Amino acid sequence: MRKLRKASFILASVALLSGVLTACGSNDGNGNNGGNTGNAGAANGGANDGGTKATDSGTNAAAANGGNAATDDAPAKKITISIYYPTPDLVEKRALEDDKIKRFNEKYPNVEVVKSDWQYNPNEIGIKMGANEAPTLFNTYATEGKFLAERGWAADITDLFNGYEFKDQMNPILQNQFIIDGKVYGIAQQGYVTGTVVNKKMLDDKGVAVPSYDWTWDDMLNTAKAVADPKKGISGIAPMGKGNEAGWNWTNFLFEAGGEIQTVDGGKVTAAFNSEAGAKALEFYHKLAWEANAIPKDFALGWGDAVGAWAQGRTAMVIAGPDGPVDQGLNQGGMKPEDILVYPMPKADANGKHTGVLGGDFLVINPNATKDEQEMAFKYATFDYFSDKGLESVEASIQQRKTDNKYFIPPVIQYFTDNSDYGQKVKAVYDKYDNVYQYSPEIMSLLDGKPEAQFNTQDYYAEMTLNVQSVFSKKDVDIKAALDSSAKKMQEKFYNNIKVE
Amino acid sequence: MRITARLRKHIWGYLFIVPAVVIFLLFLWMPIVKGFVYSFYHIDFVKGNSFAGFGNYRTVLHDPDVWTATKNTLYYMFLCLVIGFWVPIVFAISISELKRFQGFVRVAAYLPNVIPVVVLYGLWRWLYDPVGPINASITSFGTDPVSFMTDTNWSMISLVFMETWQQFGAAMLIYLAAVLSIPRDLYEAAEIDGAGVWKRIRHITLPFIRNIIVLLFVLQLISTSQGYQSQMAMLDGGPNQATLTYALLIVKYAFTRLDYGAASSLGVLMFLVLGGLAVLQHRLSSREVN
Repeated sequence: MRKLRKASFILASVALLSGVLTACGSNDGNGNNGGNTGNAGAANGGANDGGTKATDSGTNAAAANGGNAATDDAPAKKITISIYYPTPDLVEKRALEDDKIKRFNEKYPNVEVVKSDWQYNPNEIGIKMGANEAPTLFNTYATEGKFLAERGWAADITDLFNGYEFKDQMNPILQNQFIIDGKVYGIAQQGYVTGTVVNKKMLDDKGVAVPSYDWTWDDMLNTAKAVADPKKGISGIAPMGKGNEAGWNWTNFLFEAGGEIQTVDGGKVTAAFNSEAGAKALEFYHKLAWEANAIPKDFALGWGDAVGAWAQGRTAMVIAGPDGPVDQGLNQGGMKPEDILVYPMPKADANGKHTGVLGGDFLVINPNATKDEQEMAFKYATFDYFSDKGLESVEASIQQRKTDNKYFIPPVIQYFTDNSDYGQKVKAVYDKYDNVYQYSPEIMSLLDGKPEAQFNTQDYYAEMTLNVQSVFSKKDVDIKAALDSSAKKMQEKFYNNIKVE
Repeated sequence: MRITARLRKHIWGYLFIVPAVVIFLLFLWMPIVKGFVYSFYHIDFVKGNSFAGFGNYRTVLHDPDVWTATKNTLYYMFLCLVIGFWVPIVFAISISELKRFQGFVRVAAYLPNVIPVVVLYGLWRWLYDPVGPINASITSFGTDPVSFMTDTNWSMISLVFMETWQQFGAAMLIYLAAVLSIPRDLYEAAEIDGAGVWKRIRHITLPFIRNIIVLLFVLQLISTSQGYQSQMAMLDGGPNQATLTYALLIVKYAFTRLDYGAASSLGVLMFLVLGGLAVLQHRLSSREVN
């Protein structure tokens, strides 16, 4: 009996130890523990009534074996991919994704689709890749293309993209941001040109004239000044002032003033934001804060804080990709479409352009995934693209929102061009419903998108955030000296180490 | 032979501590050792690491942000001592003197400790708002409102007030236990001799809890030197790096700049300093036990 107790204890200890060690062990590349790569999909393959099952992985397997196997009869290889899945608060988007997974599995029953609601975060991607826990297919932003490609954290999907039947119909404004040195590293989803979203009701309530869409910095300043009421805690505009968003917001003004973040010449990257244009843009921020007294006293606002303040009527204007604030205002803030005006960024003067930072969402494939997994992830990412099924899915989402008394906010820029055949089909669906938010055609014609910096974008934003905070908190700040100091820092710390080939 | 006999005698004891040793080894000691190793490498988890010698140390020691963060951390530690250290002592002694409602006050004082930090930050953001209740009180006297969060002179102080409010309860319970363990006959004898409240506190209470005070003083130094949570969540180290602490800079080096080697070297430098404080704390707690 005692021996039995001893044996049980030892077994339990060994089990505990192996459990701990297993938990710490590395995964196979996608956060999926082993066991998925075997040919266990025979049962699925057998149940497959479509003719496509063996054309994807089966063909590869046949080719690799050098044989001319009857691919349709070969059991489809079991493949597991983990995909980007919306967070629990995005109920409608989750429903759309669930529907997509169901339809994808009908076509590819050998593929197990694992949902991952990890949202891309520049602060987490390093750990995710290091720990081999990034999903097979994950979302990212426009800024990250070059960074992910250089780090080897985005798979080179050039061959998959070149074999894609709709590759020529992808919207080049977006897709080109993830084509680096001729190689494709991501798939465009949707995008925006940063604009200014105005709470028109606040302007009306205070009797402030609504500026024209073709507005200038002076118009923005005067409107913000007129609507601000600091004693009541109401600001005219809430430029973001906390975290890297502050630098990102300000960069719009740098572009409008004709400035650049950096220049690339002769294989060398040089900081350029400390130009006259940069100084002019930072002086405009200084005017907003100290001359117009139009920004929040508590300017340490991140994206959520600033957009939240706008939706709550605590600030009249916010600078962001327009669909975000419009969604928050209509679907969470109880605003009406007529209370919201989406403006392009103002031009610096009458001769300027309404330039805004071009941003967007992309899907990236994990380079640690096997070729089969990468192929399936690509197929999943583009499964609904340019398809009538995808259109039906969008329409169902609009109808569901209508039932829920909510609005559908389309992206400003889609993965397809608006004037393409598919773009016209989508527009026809949007036009059928009164709960689809429609951007003014006038502002769409004024928008001028400019891509972000190619190198060390987040480092640049972090550095500019310090200058923005400095301007907002110190009236007597030496703007040119501050910009020169930042440019020197960026140059020595980052740009001097880059050799552009 | 003797070793085998001793092993056989204590085999069950050794087996029982195996799981704990394994867990500590994997999740505590190995990361510490790896931190040391990584501080000498350029870390790239995907393409592979490369030896950097003292390169990471040179990088961080030439980074002006490191000195800014060090100064801010020392300032933060100082503020925590000046604003917060005495609060739990005063509360513990006051509560121990209460004849009624002692239990209620004890729970009430500890309550902020159980508030989730997200709620805490939202609450204090509202309290510190330019038109929030604190500023409303200030301006009712005809003075200008204070930018608690964005005035560089106020931002760190505001965070320390918030943290003191939240955290003093835990230390207070420790002090209270120490105060209540003082033999009551000492107080009775002092009272008979005509000692008032202040004399009793000065000559009985404080000398008795002196060792606890010193121990918690060292523990506070250790914990505040690693502070970054509220600085990151509320202000992300701003405005103008006014709340950028050393630990927050390590986080930024690791997770924003993705330079894990430099972040590890900063961690090692901090480890060396805190190691000294930990030894001091260990000696003090041994003395307390004795």
